[in-house]
Amino acid sequence: VRRRLIGLVLVLVLAWGGVGLLLANGITPKLGLDLQGGTSVVLTAPAGTDEEVLEQAVEIMRARIEEVGGVQEPEIAISGSNTVLVQLPGVEDEQRALDAIGQTGQLSFRPVLDAIFGDVGPLVTTTTTSTTTTTTAGTSTTATGDSTTTSSTAPTTTTSEPGPTTTTTLPPNVDPVTGLTTEDDPNLDAYLQTITSFLGQAVPEVIHVGPASLVGSDVADAIPGFDPSRALWVVNLDLTSEGADKFAELTANAVTFPVDSPQRRIAIVLDGEVVASPGVSQDVGAEGITGGEAQITFGGSAEDEQQARDVAALLRYGSLPVAFERSQVQKVSATLGEDSLRAGLLAGYIGLALVAILLIVYYRAMGVVSIIGLTVFGSILVAVFALLGEYQGLTLTLAGVTGVIVSIGITADSYIVYIERVKEEIRGGRTVRSAADEGFKQAFRTILTADAVSLLGAVLLFFLSVGPVKGFALALGIATLIDLFVVRAYTRRAIWLLAHTPLADRGPLSIRATTQ
Amino acid sequence: VNLWQRLNRGETKVDFVGKRQIWFRMSMLAIGLTLIALVIRGGLNLGIEFEGGVSVTGPNPAAATVEDFRAVTVATGVEDAVIQLINDGEGFRVQTIALDPETEDTLLDGIAEVSGNERPDLSIDAVGPSFGALILRQSLIALVVFLLAVTLFMTWRLELKMALAGIAALVHDLLLTTGVYALTGFEVTPATVVALLTILGYSLYDTVVVFEKIREMVGQYGDRLTYSEVVNRSMNLVLSRSLNTSLTSLLTVGSILFVGSFVLGATTLEDFALALFVGLAASTYSSIFVAAPLLATWKEKEEAWAHRRRKIEAKLRVDPAAAEGPVAKPGAGAAPRVANRPAPRPPKKRAR
Repeated sequence: VRRRLIGLVLVLVLAWGGVGLLLANGITPKLGLDLQGGTSVVLTAPAGTDEEVLEQAVEIMRARIEEVGGVQEPEIAISGSNTVLVQLPGVEDEQRALDAIGQTGQLSFRPVLDAIFGDVGPLVTTTTTSTTTTTTAGTSTTATGDSTTTSSTAPTTTTSEPGPTTTTTLPPNVDPVTGLTTEDDPNLDAYLQTITSFLGQAVPEVIHVGPASLVGSDVADAIPGFDPSRALWVVNLDLTSEGADKFAELTANAVTFPVDSPQRRIAIVLDGEVVASPGVSQDVGAEGITGGEAQITFGGSAEDEQQARDVAALLRYGSLPVAFERSQVQKVSATLGEDSLRAGLLAGYIGLALVAILLIVYYRAMGVVSIIGLTVFGSILVAVFALLGEYQGLTLTLAGVTGVIVSIGITADSYIVYIERVKEEIRGGRTVRSAADEGFKQAFRTILTADAVSLLGAVLLFFLSVGPVKGFALALGIATLIDLFVVRAYTRRAIWLLAHTPLADRGPLSIRATTQ
Repeated sequence: VNLWQRLNRGETKVDFVGKRQIWFRMSMLAIGLTLIALVIRGGLNLGIEFEGGVSVTGPNPAAATVEDFRAVTVATGVEDAVIQLINDGEGFRVQTIALDPETEDTLLDGIAEVSGNERPDLSIDAVGPSFGALILRQSLIALVVFLLAVTLFMTWRLELKMALAGIAALVHDLLLTTGVYALTGFEVTPATVVALLTILGYSLYDTVVVFEKIREMVGQYGDRLTYSEVVNRSMNLVLSRSLNTSLTSLLTVGSILFVGSFVLGATTLEDFALALFVGLAASTYSSIFVAAPLLATWKEKEEAWAHRRRKIEAKLRVDPAAAEGPVAKPGAGAAPRVANRPAPRPPKKRAR
């Protein structure tokens, strides 16, 4: 008796004391974004992307989000075979943060080949040609076996008069309606829309650019700054030596054109968008701009400052090795998160209270033991989640909370299976004491089998599923393991000890009374 | 001695196996209704998480009407938006197909303005169509692998016929739950899938507990009773446990349902709890009225057990007093001498 009593007290002290100690030290279970509010994004890379490439991308994303700032504790992690899960708690401007993370950040410097003022329109190249097309369809005769089919068409001649005709030449990856490039490839020509300032006015313009001369990897560093003399925000680019040569060559080519010519301009393109397309200034000599430095100029407003900083962050850490697709964006407002948490907790409390009442009504003294057992289970569960949250970054999501609520049912069932078993043994003629022992052996096998099925499900779900189901599976799995532990470490001892008190046989609350 | 006490003492005498035609017909009827509902409704109402789309929810301080929201969506060029007011107009939900980022941005600005919110007050869920399909596919894969693994596990731990009967009960529960979704047109979300998976767990757990008992009772009475009688006795013994367990589970889930729908209007919980509630009720029913009778039906077809039945019936004709069979002593089987014996088959020498 003494040994079991000590064991029991030890379990209780460990469970209750442990969770008390953790909570007192401020180590609490970490809440998922759906419970505290925030934005979570699933970014999907093309199927078959290497794990290494994903890791590289995640590193770049982390560096960028820190650079952009304004996000507390962003979490970026690979989840699944080709997806990256980004979690941004309490972010103010989620759109900006998302851009900073998910934007590929492919930079290119390109020669401008042509520029047309005006809005988007179908791409037409007007050429004057003189064409004469003559089509002659002859007579064809097919003979098979004894039947002969003869199809005959009169020879036709189509002649188009010589004169100006319009042919439309569509490069690949150009939208025929807007005449703009849909998917930008730095190795091809592109038609891109931009806004240019013409005589002090913002005018839309479509520019035709050639393949990239410089790309992001030619940039060694990018530093945002304010140019006080012009009152403009700029990003100063430090080029690598190779990049410097390429840039000199690009600008040297541009200066061969007159100052007003569009071909004197250089387009700086980021992910298919023209950031700027300045002309090379008049005082640049025939050798182009040397020295390995370039500058992207923005406007002077606060928005421009933000843009300059964002662009610098994108450039500094380089482009992502793969293009990600934004598969899921879930933004939960702080109030909705709180509501969900409150609802989950309230449901948990009410459920627990009802189960507690039921257990006491049915099983009396053993019911009380079960309820204490539920608190042991609950304490260990909270402690495990708190520790995993602290050291593994595990968060408890709404799906996880529901998993836990479900596991209350499973845990309560362990007690029911055991207690019913004990009752059966007593009815079978055993003493209460031996029934407590014998009943455990029988019940434990049942609980083991049933818990193993739950655990099997949880493990499979965890590895096979994506999204919220994963959180649920994890919570259920952890809870099931704790249940098994509690059954062995606590329940067995507690019921056994109860069977050695006067509450075993006498009184309306006793173990025997429940079998009447 | 009232019913409750009889139940508590495991002294009820329900003929679970003999009346199986009734239970099976009831289940068939329910499954039939499910299929009809599925056909009539043209499948389930899949949420945007599976089909791709944008869902915006938030409070509605400006008390905007559905028409106000409609005006915003139409102005943004979004057709076919599903607009709902929730909690008596205190909140709203707008769902559209997947949008490009710019349209989405414009839409969000419009919605924030008409509902009297700032952008951070809105909750947004945007899912690309391919990702939704991925979640669905992964869930189905997980389900199939799970069923296979459970069949193997139960075959190892119990026996093949028990595993198959358990899976049959499981499919029964899943179909019924699906039926409720088809019938009511409630949206199927990842939360629903989570709930279905939970039901899998509960359903199997329940069935395993019942089967463990049957296995044990076969060891005890296997040479004196027909399989159906063994099943009946086991069922009556575990009936109280089954009902108590189901009650505790239904209480917790019921509290989620209640809190979710009436107190706080948390829709995620609501989705989840509805499926769970139906599924749990179904799984309690199926482990008692589907799995066990099905197992008995299959086992009775085994030559050894059929032989046993013939012998016992022949004996009954001679001595009708033996109709009651040996008096069941609940718990006696737990005595160490038989307890850990593997389930013995009926004696083979008399089998043929």
